[in-house]
Formats: sequence, structure tokens, C-alpha cells
Amino acid sequence: MAKSYLASRLTLLVAAFAGLFLIFGGVTWYTIQQVRVQGPIYNQIISGKDLVADVLPPPEYIIEAYLVARQLNDETDPSRISEFVERGDRLRVDYESRQEYWRRELPAGPLKDLMTVTAAKSASKFFQLRDEQFVPAIRAGDHEKAKAVLAQMDQAYAAHRLAIDQVVQLANQQNAAGEAGATSFIANHTAVLSGLAAAILLVVMLMAWYAHRSATDLSKRIKLASEIANRVASGDLATEVPGTDRGDEAGQLLQAIQKMTSSLRGLVTRAKQASIELMSTATEFAATSRQQEATVQSFGASTNQIAAAVKQITATSAELLGTMEGVNAVAGQTADMAEDGQAGLRNLDNTMERLAGAANTMAARLAAIREEAAEITGVVTTISKVADQTNLLSINAAIEAEKAGEQGLGFLVLAREIRRLADQTAVATLDIEQMVKQMQTAVSAGVMEIDRFAEEVKSGVGNVVKVGGQFGQIITQVKTLSERFDAVNHGMRSQSQGANQIGDAMGQMIDGARQTSQSLREFNSATESLRDAVSVLKQEIALFHVGN
Amino acid sequence: MLALAFRAGPMRLALPISAVVEVSPRRALRPVALAPEGVIGLLPLRGTLTPVVDLCRIILGRDCQPLRSSRIIVVALPGKAGQRLIGLLAEDVLDLLPVTATIPGLRLPDAPWLSDHLADQRDLPQLLDPAALLPEALESLFVAEAAP
Repeated sequence: MAKSYLASRLTLLVAAFAGLFLIFGGVTWYTIQQVRVQGPIYNQIISGKDLVADVLPPPEYIIEAYLVARQLNDETDPSRISEFVERGDRLRVDYESRQEYWRRELPAGPLKDLMTVTAAKSASKFFQLRDEQFVPAIRAGDHEKAKAVLAQMDQAYAAHRLAIDQVVQLANQQNAAGEAGATSFIANHTAVLSGLAAAILLVVMLMAWYAHRSATDLSKRIKLASEIANRVASGDLATEVPGTDRGDEAGQLLQAIQKMTSSLRGLVTRAKQASIELMSTATEFAATSRQQEATVQSFGASTNQIAAAVKQITATSAELLGTMEGVNAVAGQTADMAEDGQAGLRNLDNTMERLAGAANTMAARLAAIREEAAEITGVVTTISKVADQTNLLSINAAIEAEKAGEQGLGFLVLAREIRRLADQTAVATLDIEQMVKQMQTAVSAGVMEIDRFAEEVKSGVGNVVKVGGQFGQIITQVKTLSERFDAVNHGMRSQSQGANQIGDAMGQMIDGARQTSQSLREFNSATESLRDAVSVLKQEIALFHVGN
Repeated sequence: MLALAFRAGPMRLALPISAVVEVSPRRALRPVALAPEGVIGLLPLRGTLTPVVDLCRIILGRDCQPLRSSRIIVVALPGKAGQRLIGLLAEDVLDLLPVTATIPGLRLPDAPWLSDHLADQRDLPQLLDPAALLPEALESLFVAEAAP
């Protein structure tokens, strides 16, 4: 088994951690030794503070203010006096600010009571005396009073000094106790730190051992996986993958490899089948495209024949178009002639109507003549009535005259003459009646003749109208014929155009067939390439061993 | 002497003017109810109603033609009870003829009233005997009527 890189690296990591941790512990221990109480750095800081405390007058201890008051007492120069007063004021301000600080900072206890109550009481009494009595007395030059006040101030200062001494003593005691506590705390904690370091080192060593073991196992399994992958890569897809029961990352990896192998196995099997099918399909493609090429070539030949036939149709329809135009011209002339005939008939119709009017007028006049004849008949009747009465009278007169005998002879002759006149009148009236009857017969015959003439004229008018209507029908039909000729012309023209368009379309179809043939040839070559590619693919796939 | 010429159908006849009272135009007659054959109505004349007989009906068996020349000849008939006026309706009553010479005609037992023909006239009109003209039945009727 090869060496595990993962284990050695983990071991190296743990060793580096342990070394660095030891260095960290050493540095920590050294630092603690350096900064501990009573250590070198502490002693250095303390001695520096002592030096400052030794040199500077402390503001909380009012010795300097006391000294300034003493100096002020002996001084007479006004500029010096004001300088000392000012200095004393400044010292008081310093004292009060520090007093405030300590009052705030110190923990409650005897030290705070001494510092902020006992010492502060005497100090504030001192400053009160100085500000309220001593300084005004000095300014006033009253040295006697100043001296008396200074004695009181001496007492206050002494009380303050006593309190401060006690404070110092108490603070020193507290400091010593603190230093001893700090030293023991550091010693205790150094021991605890050493124990902790030893425990951490132990745990780290344990972890390093466990990590090394796990890494060795993991790398063993990963190596197994990589070997399987290598076998798969070399084409052996029949390899079985062991040890896939554990659910860690390596187990998941092995399971994934197992899945991948089975998927690849299925894929390659399918690809083999597909390549076989693809091969046969490509062969079919080639056969089909060859067949199609033949079909397209025969289609091109048929299209050429159709184009020739269409050209013939175009020529024939153009000739037919010319003939139709000639026939159409003849039909137009016929229509013109029929229109002329119709106009003539219209004139004839007018004449006939005038004739009918004249016949009517004549009939009316004949009717008037008949009425007049009837009137004549009436007159003749009256005359014949008169003649009749005259005849009767003459007969009766003759009878009376006969009865009168001789005396009536003359009257008898007169009566006979009268009777003769009446007879002649009757004969004349008969003649007139005869003539009137003849005239009436003639008038009736004339009326009949005229009626017949009028009838004939009417029927003539009717015939003329009928003939006119027939002419109109002829014209309409000729016009319709002309329109139909137009329609036929139009149809022929569009047929000719259509034939031309068909010819164009045929040309385009021939082009299309040529292009299709070209495309088929290209398709053929593409199919050949496809077959080549499929055989290459088959060879490639044959490299994979699938097993059973 | 004169004779009044007339016609009954094709026959030309005449009456001696001495028997004729008057010639009257044919007019509307008062009809007679249940009149015997030949009597066509009553004619008001000179204050009396004169019965009128259609000669054509008696002689020819038909009515006279309704012509203007068909006239009523009023004759005076001598009867047993005196003179009686009778109207005779005849056709073509238009002329008076002079009677100069007569020719004897046929004597028919059924028509005793036909007598001589007028010799010198066209158509030879035959004279009538007014006394024998009416049948006995008619005559007795008229006489009985005229009795009061």
C-alpha cells in the first residue's frame, strides 16, 4: 500500500500546532514573569514614582502653602506679595481638585475617613484663615495681626500634618498587603496555566493519532475509487465496486462511481444499439435520396413538357383572341343596323298614328252626317204626317160635298185637288225618305269602312310596335352578345395571361427542381459523411467492454 | 157618284160614299170586355159610342196592319130599328174614286156583301154592300144595344 499523503500532512499539521503552542506558552510565561509585582518592570515604575514623590511637594500635603504663607509674612515688597498670594491661591485650587479626586476614587474605609474628613478639615481651616484674615492683613500691612493669624494657621497646619502622617502609614500598610496578594495570585495561576498546557498537548496528541488513523483509512478507500475510475476510463465498464455500505464521503464517492459506472454501461449499450440503427438509417437515407434524385429529374422533364404545352396554349389563345375581336366588330355593326331599323320604324309608327287620327276625324264627321240624316228623316215624317192629315181632310170634305149635292160640286173639285197635292207631297216625301235611306246606307258603309281602316291602322301600329320591340330585342341580344364577346375576350386575355404565368411558374419549378436535385446531391454526400462518422463512432464504442 | 177606295190585304175594295159618314184616323179605342170576334173597341163620335169592327179580321182572319193609312170608316147602317153607326177599320183608306161603270163580280153565298167591280179603275176595286156587311149575330147585338 502506498504512503498516505493525507495522513502525513495531518501529522505535520498537528506537530506544527504543538510546537507553536509550546512557543506561545513560553512567551506567555516570560511576559508574566516580566510584568509581575516585584518584577523588574514593576520595580522600575515604582522607583520612578518614588523619585517624583520625593522631589515634588505633594498638593494634598499643604506644606508648600504653609511655606508660602511664611514667606509672605516676612515680605514687604508689594509685587512679591501679590506674586506669593497668587501662588497660594493656585496651591489651594490644586489642593481642592486633588481632594475632590480622592473623595471620588477612594473606597470607603478608614483611609478615606482620614484623608477626606480629618486631614481635609484642618486644611480647609488653614485656607479659610489664610484667605479671610491673613492675606487681607498682609495687604493692609498689619504684620501684628498677620503674625497672630499665622500662629492659628500653624496650629491648623500641625493638625493637618498629623492626619497626613497617619494616612501615609495606613496607605503603606495597604500597599504591602496588595503586593503580597498579587505575588501569591501570580504563582497560583502560573501553576494552573502549566497544567492547562499539559492537558491541551495531550488532547492534541490524541486528536493527531485519531486523524492519522482516519486519514489512512480514507485515503485507502479513495485510492480504491481512483483505481476503479481508472479501469472505467480504460473502457472496462464491467468492474464491480465494493465497500459501498458506509455513508461517509468516501462511501458516497464509491456509490456515485457505482452509479456512474452503471449509467455509463447503459449509455454505452444504448449508444451501440443507436449506432447500429444510425448506420442502417444512414444507408436508408442514401437510398431514399438517390430515389428522390431520380424522381426530381423525371419531374424536371415533365415540367419541361408542360411548359412547352403552356406556350402552345398561349399562342392558340392569342389567335382566338384576334378572331373574337373580329366577330365582336361584326356584332357591333349588326347592332348599329338594327338601331337604324328601329329609328325608321319609329317614324312609320308616327305616320300610322297620324293616319289613325285622320280616320277617327272622318268617323266623327260621318257620325255628324248620320245625325243630320236622322233630322231630315224627322222633318220628312212631319211632312208625311201633314200630307196624311191633308188627305184625310180632303176625303172628309169630299164626303161632305157629295152629301151637299149640286152645291158642293165646286168644293168637291177643290177637295180632289187638295188630295192630289197631298198625294204628290206624300210621293215626294217617299222620294226624300228613299234618298235619305240611301245616304244613311252609304254613311253606314263609310263608317264601317273607316272603322275597318282604323282597325287596320291600329293593328298596323301594333305590328309596327311589335316589329320595333323585336328590333329592340335584336339590339339587346346583339348588345348582350357584344358583352358576352367582351367577357369571352376578357376570359381569353386572362387565359393568355394565366398561361404566361403558368409558363413562368413552370420555369421557376424547373429552377426549383434543379436546385432540389443539387440539394439532393449535397444531401447524398452528407449522408455518406454521416455513414463514415457512424462507422467511426461504432469503432469508438467497441472499445468499451460492457460485459454480460 | 163617288166611292171610298181601301184595301184588305191584297184585295182592293170600295164603299159608296153615300153610306160613309166620316173617315177618322185610327186612335186609341175604349176596349170592350168579352167582345165578339172582330169588335176591337168603342169610338166616341158625335156624342155616342160607336163600335169598331176590324175588316181584316172578318175578311182575312188577321188584324189590320198598324199603318197611318189604316183608318176607321164610319158608316151608317140601315137596321130593323133604324139607322146605326158602325166603325170599320181598313187598310189604305186614301182615295175617292168616281163610279162611272160597273162590272158584276162573283156572287159568293158565304160573302153576300161583295158586289160589283169598278170597271174603269186600276185593280178593279170591288164595291161592298154595307147592308150585308155584318154577320147576323153582330148585327143583332148592335141593334139590341141601340134599342133604348
